[in-house]
Amino acid sequence: MSRKSLDRKISRRKFLGTSAASGAALAAMSTGLSRVSFADSHTIKIGFLAPLTGPVAAWGKPGLDGCLIWADWVNSKGGVNIGGQSYNVEFIGYDNEYDAAKARTGATKLIKEDGVKFVMMLGGDTWPGVQEIAAREGMLFSTLLPSDLSPDSTTLLAPCEVHPIYNVTGVEWLAENKPDLKTAAMCAQDDSLGKPSVATYLAAFEAAGIEMVDEPLFFDPATTDFAPVMTRLLSANPDILCLDTCYADYVHPLCEQAFQQGYQGQIISCTADFYQKIIEKTSEEFMEGFIFQFPDFDDPALNSEGVNFVNPNEFYAEYAKRYGASEWSAVSWEYASIMDLWADAASSAGSAEPAAVLEAMKADGTGKHAFGTADWWGTELFGIDNALVGNWPVVVIEGGKATIKDFRSIPAWWDQHKDLMIKHMTDLGQMWNQRG
Amino acid sequence: MPGAGTGRLVRRIAWQLRLVFLFAALAVLPYLLSYSQQEIAVLLVINVLLVSSYRLLTLTGEWSLGHVVIMGVGAYASALLAKRLGVPVPISLLLGGGIAAATAAVLSFPLFRMKGFYFLIGSFAAGEIIRLIWKRFTEPFGGPKGLKRIDAFPDIDIGFLSIDFYEPVNYYFLALIVVSASLFVLYRIERSRIGLTFHAIHWQDRLAESVGIDTFRYRTLAFVIASFFAGIAGGLYAHYVGAVNPTRFGVDQMVYVLVWAIVGGTATFHGPILGVVVLTVINEIVLRALGLDTARPLIYGAILILSVLYLPKGLESLVPRVRERVRRWRSGPAATGEGAG
Repeated sequence: MSRKSLDRKISRRKFLGTSAASGAALAAMSTGLSRVSFADSHTIKIGFLAPLTGPVAAWGKPGLDGCLIWADWVNSKGGVNIGGQSYNVEFIGYDNEYDAAKARTGATKLIKEDGVKFVMMLGGDTWPGVQEIAAREGMLFSTLLPSDLSPDSTTLLAPCEVHPIYNVTGVEWLAENKPDLKTAAMCAQDDSLGKPSVATYLAAFEAAGIEMVDEPLFFDPATTDFAPVMTRLLSANPDILCLDTCYADYVHPLCEQAFQQGYQGQIISCTADFYQKIIEKTSEEFMEGFIFQFPDFDDPALNSEGVNFVNPNEFYAEYAKRYGASEWSAVSWEYASIMDLWADAASSAGSAEPAAVLEAMKADGTGKHAFGTADWWGTELFGIDNALVGNWPVVVIEGGKATIKDFRSIPAWWDQHKDLMIKHMTDLGQMWNQRG
Repeated sequence: MPGAGTGRLVRRIAWQLRLVFLFAALAVLPYLLSYSQQEIAVLLVINVLLVSSYRLLTLTGEWSLGHVVIMGVGAYASALLAKRLGVPVPISLLLGGGIAAATAAVLSFPLFRMKGFYFLIGSFAAGEIIRLIWKRFTEPFGGPKGLKRIDAFPDIDIGFLSIDFYEPVNYYFLALIVVSASLFVLYRIERSRIGLTFHAIHWQDRLAESVGIDTFRYRTLAFVIASFFAGIAGGLYAHYVGAVNPTRFGVDQMVYVLVWAIVGGTATFHGPILGVVVLTVINEIVLRALGLDTARPLIYGAILILSVLYLPKGLESLVPRVRERVRRWRSGPAATGEGAG
């Protein structure tokens, strides 16, 4: 054996030994740290169970980042007052990778080991894995996807985002402001997020007198080449291109394809996460007038009297400072706004226990939603009044910047057109009593 | 020769003792874990069966990209039989495995007209067709949302004994029994004449055909047996988590199975098991405990690259090396050459 190879062997052995020792030390530090925070009786732990990695991470990770700002602000002001005692808030994150089994593991860890008092989720495919433990433990959960709601889960709330019902506000605004646009084509990924959203857009277009030029085009979530999708959508020459509730990983290439294939019409979408990057890939002119539903929180319209989100402009500035403005997404503020609601309820209940907070939240049938006072609603669509529904903003990209054009009432639309919504939801098998 | 007979007996007793020790360790293991780690252990045991069944298929030299979908066939079948037809879960689990095997038998006709890379692509296409069927037909498959509230394994309550299978520790033991029995069958098949034929087809399929072996039938047999056990793994998963959807059985999950098999190695029975155990512990326990949740894909990828570079024959190649070191260490410093200056 040569001296050189001997040296190499020794150094590899040393490397492995050092790595193992470092790993053990880090693990010990990590365990030690969690024990220290667990021992702090003036800290309330909140679980954050969402995809932090993988294709759906854009609707998890920015939310956790927003929550960390929320916690820093609240804790720097002395924490949340509950029963005359101030408590700091600590978020415990668990990456469920948008997988039901991992969500189940994460929920048990958060509830049984970390001792959290409330768990925030994205929901969707992950909720069925958690449903049983939520019922057994009586834990309060929130979801951003109210299609998870059902009468079987009384401790699950949709207190912020009533996806996809708010999409009707964008279509309603579009029809009023651009009445010459009369036809639409739509695509969506074929999954539990895409389908109810398609039903909503179909109802909204029908209510607005906008005709579909073709059946909605469902593409597989594994799709990576969007050129054929866009070619087919544009083949019928629609006035409006609807991107439904596509994930950011689809919205970006779809917009690129529309740009490259020479589309110059109106685009409407539920989200336009990281839209600055879309503008970089297309052009400011191409994205001008793009309608979606999620504002940047530096928008002056959010300082109006009815808005309940605390210091939205400062929140956006802090978010941009910490993570970069281009990292702002649809969910950056949503989980934080749920925490505003939770903190209010815990304070008024005088307790952080899930049952007490739930009762306080729903005490008078209304709640302070981020965009104004809203009603606990949903029996006809979800089988239970656990969705907080009120006004929702319509956002348009103008001069390369997302701008709130209006706040529209979802309940007002519902009162006029609920039959259409129920019809399309039923046709696509999306009513609560049709699921699974 | 009494000497050789005694040696065999000693080796056999040593092997049995190792097995007893292994089962004792597996029996004690959940009590050393936290509640959430017990949950991970349940899924790990199920994945051990999945990757071991995949290895049986690779014995014939064919690598499939549809094995996770076949697991899904077992999961969906078992879930639907229990949920819609009221079939008792233990029976639906077996029937789910049977339906997965039957699906593989049907698929084998087009797929085994292909070999190598073409088989790989063909198996991927077949899997995608099955997944699209689950998505397209809301009745009975639940469409993109899949099935939820799937019947759990029935609790046992006979007065002095009460077992709730929602508890991960109880399901761990149930899964351990099912998976151990399955692994025993897979091991016996590999060690039988059929297993040797699989190996022969892998290395010299033309030669095997020339001596009268029907390679199509043996490849089909390997595919069907592997699919039966993948279906059982799917059933165990569905009745534990309580929900299945088409995304869960997508190509992303298949990549994990390939990675476990490649990192562990497929030359030995224990290679893929080593792969799935080591990578799961690193990914789900160590990196999470270190607070590296969001960095896991990066670190996982780095581990893969390093293992391919420095352990091209997989983790299983470490076992003989470790054995050799232990043997040398036992023989003393002179044998190892240490201290020789």
